[in-house]
Amino acid sequence: MLRSVLGKSLWDQRRLLVAWATGVAAVTAIYASFYPSARQSAAQSVRNLPPAFRQAFNVTQMSSPAGYLEATVFTFIVPLLVLLFVAVVGARAIAGDEEAGTLDLLLAHPVSRAQVIGQRFGALVVSTAAVGAAVLIALLVVAGPGELDIPAANLAAMSLHLVLLGVCFGALALAIGAATGRRALVYGGTAAAGPLAYFGNTLAPQLEAVPWLQRLSPFAYYGGGHPLRQGLQLGDAGLLVAAALVLVGLGAVAFTRRDVAV
Amino acid sequence: MAMEAIRTERLSKRYGGRRGLDGLDLEVRTGEVFGYLGPNGAGKTTTIRLLLDLIRPTAGSARVLGVDPRAGGVSLRGRIGYLPGDFVVDGRQTGRELLTFLGNLRGGVPRRRIESLAASLDLDLDVRIGRLSRGNRQKVGLVQAFMHSPELLVLDEPSSGLDPLVQQRFLSLVREARAAGQTVFMSSHVLSEVQQSADRVGIIRDGRLVAVEAVERLRERAPRRVEIVFDAPVPSSAFADLPNVRAAEVEGTVLRCLLVGPADPLVKAAARFTTLGLTAGEPDLEELFLTYYDREEGGHAA
Repeated sequence: MLRSVLGKSLWDQRRLLVAWATGVAAVTAIYASFYPSARQSAAQSVRNLPPAFRQAFNVTQMSSPAGYLEATVFTFIVPLLVLLFVAVVGARAIAGDEEAGTLDLLLAHPVSRAQVIGQRFGALVVSTAAVGAAVLIALLVVAGPGELDIPAANLAAMSLHLVLLGVCFGALALAIGAATGRRALVYGGTAAAGPLAYFGNTLAPQLEAVPWLQRLSPFAYYGGGHPLRQGLQLGDAGLLVAAALVLVGLGAVAFTRRDVAV
Repeated sequence: MAMEAIRTERLSKRYGGRRGLDGLDLEVRTGEVFGYLGPNGAGKTTTIRLLLDLIRPTAGSARVLGVDPRAGGVSLRGRIGYLPGDFVVDGRQTGRELLTFLGNLRGGVPRRRIESLAASLDLDLDVRIGRLSRGNRQKVGLVQAFMHSPELLVLDEPSSGLDPLVQQRFLSLVREARAAGQTVFMSSHVLSEVQQSADRVGIIRDGRLVAVEAVERLRERAPRRVEIVFDAPVPSSAFADLPNVRAAEVEGTVLRCLLVGPADPLVKAAARFTTLGLTAGEPDLEELFLTYYDREEGGHAA
């Protein structure tokens, strides 16, 4: 673990990672295990909700296993937790070290700034994948007793899309931190981008003037293709990966050009 | 190999409107120990961070081991050892963890080398860094700077926080490095920290180099506070206008003054009376800065 910046970053955030993976998996398991009882009442209560609300929080198909999981686990709470996680990890990656004053020492070693940001991004990808894997494991464990009749491949596809959504926002957090060196801006930036992208995706269909808005939102490529029902959406996944790489690339360019703060 | 380990030409750095460094021309010869002296805020850390490409100059240029710091990049930094002025690292790791990692970034440093350096500084490698005292943390910083025996050591206030005994061990590390042909560039705001090890000293003030001197000459020139006690009151006129003596004040049987050069005229003047005691303080660097500073200002006025 102490051989590279990537390994060291993972090692340094091991406690954070274990705590988040456990927490997100627990939330997933709890929601998923409520399916049998929720199925009974869902049909009734959904009808009572205003249509706009149903659309915004994706609660239209609560009575099928995939619809239920989408509405409870994958529409809001788990993506939110994953976004918070990648914001924390992305903020630490460059801006956190810089504000703590520990970045000078690393950059005075024979590593380029592009290598540092690249390897920190690699650590972020691995961490996010670990959180995604914890979600998948939780689903596989609960699926039987919870009467969630969804193919494992689709659960895996949904988890992968979740990881890629996280990687995309993590790349944004990392890039803001690399460009500015300030954690407050990382948190501010991701806190603005997250809800904007979320509601851009869910509410855009109702705003007929701006149908293209939805296509700008990473959430459209995360859940828009319904991986729980349709399996892996290669095109969507590719776009999320591409967006992440572009963001990290921009961050690396800005980072390489600027002064490192004391 | 370049003759100079470090060479800067009109190197300048502005932070917004604030001036950090203003046209620095500096030459550090290969193989020497160079003390970079100045009060806090004079531009020492700015210079060092420019040399390591952590910040970029607003104007002018620098060459470190013959190459531009930015162009030299990874391969240049592999030849340098750096101790930041404020050595902070994640406190949750042990010294051994950190040093192993940093050694690996440098292509691997033998475990025994790290252990022998730590032993020579009396540093426990298996304690979490967050639990170490400031002085012991500084030792971790020294080990990482020296462990790969770099061609050039750039040390920002290396002995801050070290107790006198460890300071002596640090100085012997510097002497070993010099004997091995390594160049050492170290900053300080206290002359006594560098005078034992440095060959030459550069004095920086307000972002400009005001003097470069061999350490011997500097010590001769640095003012010392001298106090002489006589057996009877002495006339103050006897010590007025003596060469190398400034601010002479007589209070009954005691003379206090500043000595700014060879002591001979003062000693001869005092010898006309019966002296009971004589104390001379250490060369006062703050006074020395002022003498260089005054001269600069005077030069501009003339």
